[in-house]
Amino acid sequence: MIVALLIVHGLLAVTLLGAITHQAWSVVPRGTAAGSLSFVDRFRSVDSGAYATAIVVLFAVTAIGGGLLYPQYRLDVRTALEDMQMRAANGVFEIKEHLAAIGLGLLPTYWLFWRAPLVPEQAAARRYLTWLLAFVVWWSFLVGHVLNNIKGLLP
Amino acid sequence: MSASQRRPSVEIFSMLFGIVYLTCFYMDWAPFRYYPDARTFHLKITPQDGPAILWYGWVSAAAVVSAAVALLVPRQLAVRLQPAWAWAVPLIIVVLMFVYERRWFM
Repeated sequence: MIVALLIVHGLLAVTLLGAITHQAWSVVPRGTAAGSLSFVDRFRSVDSGAYATAIVVLFAVTAIGGGLLYPQYRLDVRTALEDMQMRAANGVFEIKEHLAAIGLGLLPTYWLFWRAPLVPEQAAARRYLTWLLAFVVWWSFLVGHVLNNIKGLLP
Repeated sequence: MSASQRRPSVEIFSMLFGIVYLTCFYMDWAPFRYYPDARTFHLKITPQDGPAILWYGWVSAAAVVSAAVALLVPRQLAVRLQPAWAWAVPLIIVVLMFVYERRWFM
Protein backbone atom coordinates (compact mmCIF):
# COMPACT_ATOMS: atom_id res chain seq x y z
CA MET A 1 0.00 0.00 0.00
CA ILE A 2 2.75 2.43 1.00
CA VAL A 3 4.70 1.64 -2.20
CA ALA A 4 1.61 2.31 -4.34
CA LEU A 5 1.05 5.59 -2.52
CA LEU A 6 4.70 6.55 -3.01
CA ILE A 7 4.46 5.87 -6.76
CA VAL A 8 1.23 7.87 -7.09
CA HIS A 9 2.83 10.69 -5.05
CA GLY A 10 5.82 10.66 -7.41
CA LEU A 11 3.66 10.67 -10.55
CA LEU A 12 1.56 13.57 -9.26
CA ALA A 13 4.77 15.41 -8.44
CA VAL A 14 6.02 14.95 -12.02
CA THR A 15 2.75 16.36 -13.37
CA LEU A 16 2.91 19.28 -10.97
CA LEU A 17 6.53 19.93 -11.84
CA GLY A 18 5.70 20.08 -15.55
CA ALA A 19 2.76 22.42 -15.04
CA ILE A 20 4.51 24.85 -12.69
CA THR A 21 7.67 24.91 -14.84
CA HIS A 22 5.65 25.79 -17.95
CA GLN A 23 3.87 28.53 -16.04
CA ALA A 24 7.03 29.85 -14.35
CA TRP A 25 8.78 30.14 -17.73
CA SER A 26 5.75 31.73 -19.32
CA VAL A 27 5.89 34.70 -16.91
CA VAL A 28 9.56 35.45 -17.53
CA PRO A 29 9.66 38.87 -19.20
CA ARG A 30 10.71 38.51 -22.81
CA GLY A 31 11.97 40.85 -25.46
CA THR A 32 10.44 41.08 -28.88
CA ALA A 33 12.30 38.44 -30.85
CA ALA A 34 12.06 38.19 -34.58
CA GLY A 35 12.38 34.98 -36.56
CA SER A 36 11.42 31.44 -35.77
CA LEU A 37 10.57 30.29 -32.24
CA SER A 38 13.20 28.34 -30.32
CA PHE A 39 12.40 25.32 -28.15
CA VAL A 40 12.43 27.54 -25.06
CA ASP A 41 10.14 30.06 -26.75
CA ARG A 42 7.69 27.30 -27.58
CA PHE A 43 8.01 25.85 -24.05
CA ARG A 44 6.91 29.10 -22.50
CA SER A 45 4.34 30.09 -25.12
CA VAL A 46 1.50 28.64 -23.11
CA ASP A 47 -1.76 29.99 -21.76
CA SER A 48 -0.33 30.68 -18.27
CA GLY A 49 -3.64 31.22 -16.56
CA ALA A 50 -4.99 27.87 -17.71
CA TYR A 51 -2.48 26.09 -15.44
CA ALA A 52 -3.40 27.78 -12.17
CA THR A 53 -6.32 25.66 -11.00
CA ALA A 54 -4.58 22.44 -12.03
CA ILE A 55 -1.46 23.52 -10.11
CA VAL A 56 -3.49 24.30 -6.98
CA VAL A 57 -5.25 20.93 -7.09
CA LEU A 58 -2.05 19.00 -7.89
CA PHE A 59 -0.09 20.79 -5.16
CA ALA A 60 -2.78 20.13 -2.56
CA VAL A 61 -3.24 16.47 -3.51
CA THR A 62 0.53 15.85 -3.72
CA ALA A 63 1.04 17.51 -0.33
CA ILE A 64 -1.72 15.37 1.21
CA GLY A 65 -0.04 12.29 -0.28
CA GLY A 66 3.26 13.40 1.22
CA GLY A 67 1.54 13.91 4.55
CA LEU A 68 0.20 10.35 4.43
CA LEU A 69 3.67 8.98 3.59
CA TYR A 70 5.36 11.02 6.28
CA PRO A 71 4.85 8.60 9.24
CA GLN A 72 6.62 5.83 7.33
CA TYR A 73 9.45 8.24 6.49
CA ARG A 74 9.71 9.34 10.12
CA LEU A 75 9.98 5.77 11.37
CA ASP A 76 12.14 4.14 8.69
CA VAL A 77 14.03 6.66 6.58
CA ARG A 78 14.78 9.40 9.08
CA THR A 79 15.92 6.89 11.68
CA ALA A 80 18.22 5.27 9.11
CA LEU A 81 19.64 8.66 8.10
CA GLU A 82 20.29 9.47 11.75
CA ASP A 83 22.01 6.12 12.24
CA MET A 84 24.21 6.85 9.22
CA GLN A 85 24.86 10.36 10.61
CA MET A 86 23.60 11.97 7.39
CA ARG A 87 22.63 15.30 8.89
CA ALA A 88 22.50 17.14 5.57
CA ALA A 89 20.04 14.61 4.16
CA ASN A 90 17.77 15.10 7.18
CA GLY A 91 18.19 18.84 6.81
CA VAL A 92 17.13 19.03 3.17
CA PHE A 93 14.06 16.96 4.00
CA GLU A 94 13.18 19.20 6.93
CA ILE A 95 13.41 22.17 4.56
CA LYS A 96 11.13 20.30 2.16
CA GLU A 97 8.55 19.93 4.95
CA HIS A 98 8.65 23.66 5.65
CA LEU A 99 8.51 24.65 1.99
CA ALA A 100 5.53 22.36 1.39
CA ALA A 101 3.69 23.94 4.32
CA ILE A 102 4.49 27.50 3.21
CA GLY A 103 3.41 26.52 -0.32
CA LEU A 104 0.08 25.24 0.97
CA GLY A 105 -0.50 28.59 2.63
CA LEU A 106 0.33 30.41 -0.61
CA LEU A 107 -2.18 28.50 -2.74
CA PRO A 108 -5.30 30.63 -2.05
CA THR A 109 -3.51 33.88 -2.92
CA TYR A 110 -1.75 32.34 -5.91
CA TRP A 111 -5.09 31.09 -7.24
CA LEU A 112 -6.76 34.44 -6.58
CA PHE A 113 -4.09 36.35 -8.50
CA TRP A 114 -4.37 34.00 -11.46
CA ARG A 115 -8.17 34.23 -11.57
CA ALA A 116 -9.52 35.65 -14.83
CA PRO A 117 -9.62 38.40 -15.86
CA LEU A 118 -5.91 38.87 -15.14
CA VAL A 119 -5.14 42.34 -13.80
CA PRO A 120 -2.03 43.94 -15.38
CA GLU A 121 -1.22 45.78 -12.11
CA GLN A 122 -0.82 42.42 -10.39
CA ALA A 123 1.48 40.94 -13.01
CA ALA A 124 4.57 41.29 -10.82
CA ALA A 125 2.90 39.73 -7.77
CA ARG A 126 1.58 36.91 -9.96
CA ARG A 127 5.05 36.32 -11.40
CA TYR A 128 6.86 36.22 -8.03
CA LEU A 129 4.20 34.02 -6.43
CA THR A 130 4.55 31.61 -9.35
CA TRP A 131 8.35 31.57 -9.07
CA LEU A 132 8.17 31.03 -5.33
CA LEU A 133 5.79 28.13 -5.78
CA ALA A 134 8.00 26.75 -8.58
CA PHE A 135 11.00 26.84 -6.24
CA VAL A 136 8.99 24.97 -3.59
CA VAL A 137 7.94 22.31 -6.10
CA TRP A 138 11.45 21.86 -7.56
CA TRP A 139 13.06 21.60 -4.12
CA SER A 140 10.46 19.12 -2.92
CA PHE A 141 10.72 17.05 -6.07
CA LEU A 142 14.50 16.81 -6.10
CA VAL A 143 14.84 16.15 -2.37
CA GLY A 144 12.07 13.55 -2.44
CA HIS A 145 13.71 11.66 -5.28
CA VAL A 146 17.25 11.86 -3.93
CA LEU A 147 16.19 10.64 -0.49
CA ASN A 148 14.05 7.91 -2.00
CA ASN A 149 17.11 6.59 -3.80
CA ILE A 150 19.80 7.63 -1.34
CA LYS A 151 21.00 4.13 -0.51
CA GLY A 152 21.70 3.52 -4.20
CA LEU A 153 23.19 6.94 -4.81
CA LEU A 154 25.81 6.88 -2.06
CA PRO A 155 28.62 4.38 -1.62
CA MET B 1 -9.34 43.53 -10.35
CA SER B 2 -11.20 46.44 -8.81
CA ALA B 3 -11.15 47.21 -5.10
CA SER B 4 -14.54 45.58 -4.68
CA GLN B 5 -13.33 42.40 -6.41
CA ARG B 6 -10.18 42.07 -4.30
CA ARG B 7 -10.08 39.51 -1.52
CA PRO B 8 -7.50 41.03 0.84
CA SER B 9 -8.42 38.57 3.59
CA VAL B 10 -7.06 35.78 1.36
CA GLU B 11 -3.77 37.64 0.96
CA ILE B 12 -3.60 38.15 4.73
CA PHE B 13 -4.21 34.44 5.22
CA SER B 14 -1.28 33.53 2.97
CA MET B 15 1.02 36.08 4.60
CA LEU B 16 0.18 34.94 8.12
CA PHE B 17 0.26 31.25 7.32
CA GLY B 18 4.02 31.16 6.89
CA ILE B 19 4.60 33.40 9.90
CA VAL B 20 2.46 31.28 12.23
CA TYR B 21 3.91 28.06 10.84
CA LEU B 22 7.50 29.20 11.31
CA THR B 23 6.76 30.56 14.79
CA CYS B 24 5.22 27.23 15.87
CA PHE B 25 8.21 25.39 14.44
CA TYR B 26 10.75 27.72 16.06
CA MET B 27 8.98 27.53 19.44
CA ASP B 28 8.66 23.75 19.04
CA TRP B 29 4.96 24.09 19.79
CA ALA B 30 2.15 22.15 18.16
CA PRO B 31 -1.49 21.90 19.25
CA PHE B 32 -1.20 18.13 18.85
CA ARG B 33 1.41 15.54 17.97
CA TYR B 34 1.17 12.32 16.00
CA TYR B 35 3.07 9.26 17.17
CA PRO B 36 3.51 7.01 14.13
CA ASP B 37 4.86 4.05 16.13
CA ALA B 38 1.75 3.93 18.30
CA ARG B 39 -0.47 5.42 15.55
CA THR B 40 -2.03 7.83 18.02
CA PHE B 41 -2.55 11.56 18.34
CA HIS B 42 -1.79 13.28 21.65
CA LEU B 43 -2.26 16.80 22.91
CA LYS B 44 0.65 16.37 25.29
CA ILE B 45 4.20 15.15 24.81
CA THR B 46 4.17 11.38 25.17
CA PRO B 47 7.76 10.13 24.80
CA GLN B 48 6.87 6.54 25.64
CA ASP B 49 4.97 6.36 22.31
CA GLY B 50 8.16 6.87 20.29
CA PRO B 51 9.14 9.68 17.91
CA ALA B 52 6.55 12.39 17.36
CA ILE B 53 5.46 14.22 14.21
CA LEU B 54 4.66 17.88 14.87
CA TRP B 55 4.22 18.93 11.22
CA TYR B 56 0.48 18.17 11.12
CA GLY B 57 0.01 20.31 14.21
CA TRP B 58 2.08 23.19 12.81
CA VAL B 59 0.12 23.21 9.54
CA SER B 60 -3.23 22.99 11.37
CA ALA B 61 -2.28 25.80 13.75
CA ALA B 62 -1.12 27.98 10.87
CA ALA B 63 -4.35 27.36 8.94
CA VAL B 64 -6.68 28.03 11.89
CA VAL B 65 -4.89 31.08 13.30
CA SER B 66 -4.33 32.66 9.87
CA ALA B 67 -7.95 32.12 8.82
CA ALA B 68 -9.24 33.57 12.10
CA VAL B 69 -7.05 36.68 11.91
CA ALA B 70 -7.75 37.15 8.17
CA LEU B 71 -11.47 37.17 8.88
CA LEU B 72 -11.11 39.55 11.83
CA VAL B 73 -9.05 42.24 10.08
CA PRO B 74 -11.43 45.02 8.95
CA ARG B 75 -11.75 45.23 5.17
CA GLN B 76 -10.95 48.98 5.17
CA LEU B 77 -7.60 48.15 6.72
CA ALA B 78 -6.94 45.05 4.63
CA VAL B 79 -7.47 46.74 1.25
CA ARG B 80 -4.55 49.07 2.01
CA LEU B 81 -2.19 46.13 1.54
CA GLN B 82 -0.24 46.30 -1.68
CA PRO B 83 -0.20 43.12 -3.81
CA ALA B 84 3.59 43.00 -3.35
CA TRP B 85 3.11 42.00 0.30
CA ALA B 86 1.48 38.77 -0.86
CA TRP B 87 4.77 37.43 -2.23
CA ALA B 88 7.30 39.48 -0.26
CA VAL B 89 6.24 38.22 3.18
CA PRO B 90 6.32 34.50 2.20
CA LEU B 91 9.69 35.10 0.52
CA ILE B 92 11.09 36.59 3.74
CA ILE B 93 9.69 33.60 5.66
CA VAL B 94 11.45 31.22 3.27
CA VAL B 95 14.75 33.11 3.66
CA LEU B 96 14.45 33.09 7.47
CA MET B 97 13.70 29.40 7.41
CA PHE B 98 16.82 28.71 5.32
CA VAL B 99 18.92 30.83 7.68
CA TYR B 100 17.68 28.84 10.67
CA GLU B 101 18.03 25.47 8.96
CA ARG B 102 21.72 26.07 8.19
CA ARG B 103 22.26 24.19 11.44
CA TRP B 104 21.93 20.89 9.54
CA PHE B 105 24.88 21.67 7.30
CA MET B 106 27.43 22.93 9.84
